[in-house]
This record gives sequence, C-alpha cells and structure tokens, in this order.
Amino acid sequence: MKANVAPSLDPLSGTQSPGAKTAELAIADATVHHRLRQYLCDEAGSAVELETFERRSPGFSWITYSFTARDQSGQRRKLILRVGPTNGLFAPYSVLPQVYALQSMENSRVPVPRLVCYSQQGANVGFPFFISEHVAGDVAAPWLGSGATEEHRRGIVMQFLDILAELHTIDWQHLPLRELLAKIPSGERTERASLTAWRALVSRPLIRYYPLLDWAGLWLHENCPTPPRMTIVHGDYRVGNFLEENGNITAILDWELTHIGDPHEDLGWALVPTFNGGSRKLYGVMERSEVIDRYQNKSGITLSPRSLAYYEAFALYQMAAIQICGIHAFEVAGFDDMRMAAMSTQMASIVRALDKAIEAVA
Amino acid sequence: MSQSFDLLIDGMIESIRSRILPQLGDDFVRGQAYGIIFALSGLKLSADWAIAPLRSQIVLQDRAFAEFARLGAGLDYPDVPSGPRILPDAPESADLERLRNDGDRKLGELLMWTSGAGAAADPDRAKMIQAMLRQIICDQLKIDISIMAKPMFHELATGEESGSAQSRG
Repeated sequence: MKANVAPSLDPLSGTQSPGAKTAELAIADATVHHRLRQYLCDEAGSAVELETFERRSPGFSWITYSFTARDQSGQRRKLILRVGPTNGLFAPYSVLPQVYALQSMENSRVPVPRLVCYSQQGANVGFPFFISEHVAGDVAAPWLGSGATEEHRRGIVMQFLDILAELHTIDWQHLPLRELLAKIPSGERTERASLTAWRALVSRPLIRYYPLLDWAGLWLHENCPTPPRMTIVHGDYRVGNFLEENGNITAILDWELTHIGDPHEDLGWALVPTFNGGSRKLYGVMERSEVIDRYQNKSGITLSPRSLAYYEAFALYQMAAIQICGIHAFEVAGFDDMRMAAMSTQMASIVRALDKAIEAVA
Repeated sequence: MSQSFDLLIDGMIESIRSRILPQLGDDFVRGQAYGIIFALSGLKLSADWAIAPLRSQIVLQDRAFAEFARLGAGLDYPDVPSGPRILPDAPESADLERLRNDGDRKLGELLMWTSGAGAAADPDRAKMIQAMLRQIICDQLKIDISIMAKPMFHELATGEESGSAQSRG
C-alpha cells in the first residue's frame, strides 16, 4: 500500500458543489466497504480483501470504521478508516488538519495512531478520508457511571495533562502543522482565528436567534488575551477523545479541530463540566489548582488565571456554536438526523452558562 | 402550531420512516413504529405548543425595552418597541413564537449597541443598560431551561444507554 495519496484539490478552500449534501445525505456502510476495497486494490495493484469491516461510531462528525485488510501475500493489517461525510456537523470537511497532526506527532511523545494514507478529494471512497493504524484501547466515557474507579481516573488524568504539556511544548514551526497558518486571513490574530470561524457559523440565520450569543462572540473577539506562546492546540482535548488500555493512554484521537493558538484553549475546553461528569474537577477527580500546578510544572508554561477564565468562556461559546451547527443541519440543510434537532434543546443552558463565564472573566 | 414544533414533529416522522423502519425486520416492531408515526401526526394537528412560556418571555422582553428606553433617555439608540406587544385577542403559539423571536433579534441589536460606537457617548450608562439586558435575557433563558428535558449527550453520541464505555480503536 502506498504511504500517501497527495490531494489534487485545494484542501483548504472548503468548496463544494451545490447540491452535494442532498446528493449523498447518508453514508451507507456497504457502499463504503465496497469503495474502500476498490481503493485498496487500486493502491496495492493487486487483490486486497477486507476480512472485517465495522462502523465504530455513530458520530456527529467524522465516521470511524475499523477493518482488517489482507493482501495477496496473506499479510493482514488491522486499520482504521475515518471519513468526513457530506452531512456531518462541520461539513464540508478537510482531512488535512488531522493528517498534519498525525504526521507532526509521529516522532513525538504525544501518542497518536500512525497515518497510513489519506485523500482530500475522496479517491474511490467518495468522501475526504484517511487511514491509520489500529491502536489498542477503549474510549473513556466522560459521563458519570462509566464504572472507572477514582484511582483509575486519577492515573489517567495525570497522563492526560502530561501529554497536553508535551503537545504544547512541541516546536511546530518545522512540522506539517505549520501549513494550517496559511488558512488564516492576513491581518487576523492567529490565536483568534478559531473564534472567527465559530462566529461565522453562529451568524447563519436560524428560526431562533440567541441575542447573548452574538454579543458574546463580539466580547470574546475584543477581549482575546495575548498567548504566553503560540502552540499546537488540539481543539477538542477532553476526556472521551483518547484511547486507554490497562490504565495507560495509548492514543490521542479526533484532531479535526487542531490549530495553532493559545495553550489555555485546550485547558479551558478540557475543564468544561460537561466533559467531566458534570464536575468542575478534571475527570471528576482532580481539583483545578492541581491541574494548573501539574500542567505548569510539566510544560514550563505559566498559566494566566484571566486567560484560563477567558478560554472557559470561549469553550462554552464553542459548545453553543456546535449546537448551532446541529440546528442549522436540521432546520436549514434538511438533514433528517433527529440527534441534530435534539441538540437544540441544550442551547438555553449553555448560553446562560456562557454569560456567567464572561462575567467571571470581566 | 409553532414553526419549530412543526419542524420537530415532521423530523421525527421522517426519521422513523427513512432511518428506523428500513432497519426493522420484525412485523410487530414495524407496527409499533407506524403507531408512533400515527400518534405524532395526530399530535401535530392537535397540540398548541408552549403558549404560557412564550407569553412570559415576551413580557420579559417588553420589560427590557421599557427599561432600555428609560435608562437610555437622551442617547442616540436604535428604535425600541413600545408598550405591550401581545394583543388582547390571544394569538396562537405560532404568532407568539414569531413575536418572541423578533423580540430576541431586537434585544440582540440593543445589546450590540451597548458595545458599539453609539454607546460611547456615555459608557457608564451603556454598561448599566448592558447589565440589565443580559439579566433579562438570562431570565428568559431560565424559562427555556424549565421546560427542557435532561441532556442525553451519551445516548445521542453513542446510541447506547448511559453507564457504559464504548470500545473504539
């Protein structure tokens, strides 16, 4: 199998032909299976069989499949396929942030699955996709009742922070992830680029308008702090986005929102109570003061209480924006996924929490 | 019938028809699904949604507009609705929802004004107006929260009952 498939389309333009969403609303697993096999055969130049093929997540965004490929010589590889569907929450998708992230982390101490190949234009598969090696482990449930003991969660959370410190101290200037800077419009502050992107999504007209959300976007724009340093930001760093096995984190997953920005952003997101069983403690076990101490000691980055408070407010704004994407997909784009409609029911509580969080910064 | 309620019911029926029914092989279970479609269609015709919460929200908005006019007297600010906007002939929920949504857009415009150039003439007063608007908008959100079901993030994201970790990788 070839190591890489170079994208032939402009990967950062995000362009999509009109009607593409309605042309292929849902990904049929059997179709993906057929197209994947065809793709693997073409790449190998000989027959490849899929011995197993299973959808692993009914996700809102990227869809994950695990499969075992057997080539003509009988060699087997257990692999992961991730596809960006045309009807995902953040469609149209670019595969490149995840590709750059996996490439950039390959020789670092941040554990990630090894990238095997990818295609932005979709090749035979029909959607932007990448294939990575399978990593053993389970996803930790961020919700209460997962059954994990406090001791277990504490061990995980220490690794979780140590890995974040590693991520934030990587010299990214010479790594593939630096390419993401090319997407930022000239004159825009790098650390504010993700906020600008979320504000654009929030500004789309919907039946219900949330006045605080527009104002909060403006407030966050005007009060964005100067980062202590520009680092790689995972963008969705939280309990639930890594694999663990026997008490060890084996891989950090879901790099689709990665970018260059303020390291406080990942901490603010990780500390949102929704991702911690409703607790203000990280994973329900580690007090904030301890989180800050451990992170600072491991990373050498001094955290600012105001910046952390700002990015906790930003996290709630981002959560609201994600809900808006769900509502938009249901109301405007006509997707018949009821989970999108269900998301809208949480808007009021998120927006109210956002207002309180802004008050805490100010 | 409100626009959002109508959309939700139509979405539920379409989801059962196109996503759930094709996956059901058992005749009894398919009968159950058709029963739910029938019940939802009936509900769509008969239900009138959330009149009381919508009324309460519009009353709050009217209070915000009146306060805005009082606190902003003498400043150059956008048009503000005056007087109670709910007419005595008791409009249906669709009308109330439209009124509430229009009110929200106006509140958004006023809130943005407090952070813009128009408010620079008297920053202290603008700050006071901003605090008042945020408070009333939050009171409005409390009404929404009081009529919403408990979050089901885990169930929505994984399709499983909560309480179990899902293997992936």
